[in-house]
Amino acid sequence: MSASDTADGLSAADAPWLRKGLLAVLALVVLSPAFAWAAGEVGYAEPLENAAEATGAPEHADPINPGLFPDYGVTGLGPLSGTLVSGLVGAGLTLGAAWLWGRALAD
Amino acid sequence: MHIPDGYLDLWVAVLCVLLAGAALAYATRRADGDLTGERAPLVGIVAAGIFAAQMLNWPIPGGTSAHFVGGAFAAILLGPYLGALCVATVVTIQALVFGDGGLVVLGANVLNMAVVEVGVGYAVYRLLAGRGEFLAAFMAGWLGVTAGALAAAVQLGASSAFAYELWTVVAIMGVGHLVLGLVEGAITAVVYRYVADARPDVLAARARGVRA
Repeated sequence: MSASDTADGLSAADAPWLRKGLLAVLALVVLSPAFAWAAGEVGYAEPLENAAEATGAPEHADPINPGLFPDYGVTGLGPLSGTLVSGLVGAGLTLGAAWLWGRALAD
Repeated sequence: MHIPDGYLDLWVAVLCVLLAGAALAYATRRADGDLTGERAPLVGIVAAGIFAAQMLNWPIPGGTSAHFVGGAFAAILLGPYLGALCVATVVTIQALVFGDGGLVVLGANVLNMAVVEVGVGYAVYRLLAGRGEFLAAFMAGWLGVTAGALAAAVQLGASSAFAYELWTVVAIMGVGHLVLGLVEGAITAVVYRYVADARPDVLAARARGVRA
């Protein structure tokens, strides 16, 4: 580690880049409620759902784990604020998990 | 493209777990030599970015939607092994925390998005990079997501929930993602261009000798 490196092994030149990356992730999360609203307005369906409808598969759907935040919503919150909270939680968890195994692989 | 529980026959789900597990074990072994301490945070940023980008469903009038999956982008940026591990992290958290994709079928979802899409996307990029990196990134995103969708379609079409209507499922998902994948390709190419201009040193594919 050089004198300009941080405790995380980052060079000083990487710090602004990582800050920009984190801001970009935050911007995407902040935008997500607007996209969720717009997608709901057009009654969207993915091709997988269209294929399921065409073959009668939906009756076989058997969710085992709805998750802590089903459909990226939060109980007690509206759909838009729930999406925002889910996005923040999910992005944070993903960042932490990938950072951890990244460091483990780098060690 | 996230398959929910109940859609795949058990033998298909088990086969996918085995294939995905083997692929991720291989990726972990190969990535062990790819990653330096400096790039470890980049892995976290890319994974979080893919998670956030997957939340943006682009509504398309007519009732369909597309969202960025990011397998090809991760592969170009981080290389196929770290890229696969990144997308697998995203898909696993989506299933465990948000119920987006099933648990029994988690192996299938990881196989489709983290192995097939990443692998095909990276191969297409490497194949076409000599003709122009922007075009190569676009094609990687487009064909990568289409390949992932076709893999999912074969798994679904081989299962009883879909009445074994393999060709119907392949046609609907294949054609659907071939069209929607244009969005994936465009986003992959534009973000690739930005990263290539801002920090060309972090691009794994360039580090492996790809040049326009």
